Amino acid sequence: MQRMAVVAQLVERWLVVPDVAGSSPVGRPILNSTQSDADLETFLEVAPDVPWVTLVWNDPVNLMSYVSYVFRTYFGFPKDEAERLMLQVHHDGRSVVAIGPREEMERHTEAMHEFGLWATVAKASDS
Amino acid sequence: MRVSRSGPEIVLEFADGESGVLRSLVDQYLEVVGTDAGADPSHARLFPAAYRDDDAAAEEFTRYTRAGLVDRKAANAAQVSLALDEERVRLDPDAAARWLPLLTDLRLVIADRLGIRLDDDEIPDTAAGEVYAWLGHLQESMILLLEET
Repeated sequence: MQRMAVVAQLVERWLVVPDVAGSSPVGRPILNSTQSDADLETFLEVAPDVPWVTLVWNDPVNLMSYVSYVFRTYFGFPKDEAERLMLQVHHDGRSVVAIGPREEMERHTEAMHEFGLWATVAKASDS
Repeated sequence: MRVSRSGPEIVLEFADGESGVLRSLVDQYLEVVGTDAGADPSHARLFPAAYRDDDAAAEEFTRYTRAGLVDRKAANAAQVSLALDEERVRLDPDAAARWLPLLTDLRLVIADRLGIRLDDDEIPDTAAGEVYAWLGHLQESMILLLEET
């Protein structure tokens, strides 16, 4: 980036003073798509005893390559499966990336937050 | 900026001023992350509610996880900041991997300031938008090189 020296001056104190760059109203993230619950219903049929899930939601910021990278390196998914889940997040707005006991789903969610992904925990039957 | 591989290492060669911009952003990020919960609008995305329809459960999750997340995000950012003392940064794969979540978090904060909410929102043609895109380019380049290992 050639204009970096100029940019350096512009961005000074810019992140910590939101109004400089044009602040934004609170109240996001915004969910911008409606999804079917088909994926969760499938899970319920095959695993009725395991009632919690970790969901990862689409956002406009994270690169597809990064989401896929996180799914591979953190969950250990093979490349194909990581890609499939990433595309599901991108196209359907969300994907179930783990299913199991609540504490474990919260641990995964915390890890996703550390990676900067938007993740939530839900009871499979409520999601 | 040039991103390349040298054996197992990722090598970042910054152009004039780039590492200074990045260090400035990281320093500001440390302030944003460390400020009181909810005091910065970007916290909604850096530390999202873990339960969508259960405020009590979300608050409890925050109570148990927030301090640790803040500490780990800050420690990670501080490590990256140290590496930026050189214009040419050599990173082993583990060190390079630690840059990726920070680059994402920086973009999340900038996206908040730029009002980027939806997939179709355009990146503004401003210095801030340029930095946002540059960070994405850096992250993407590093991921591609890490995947070669």
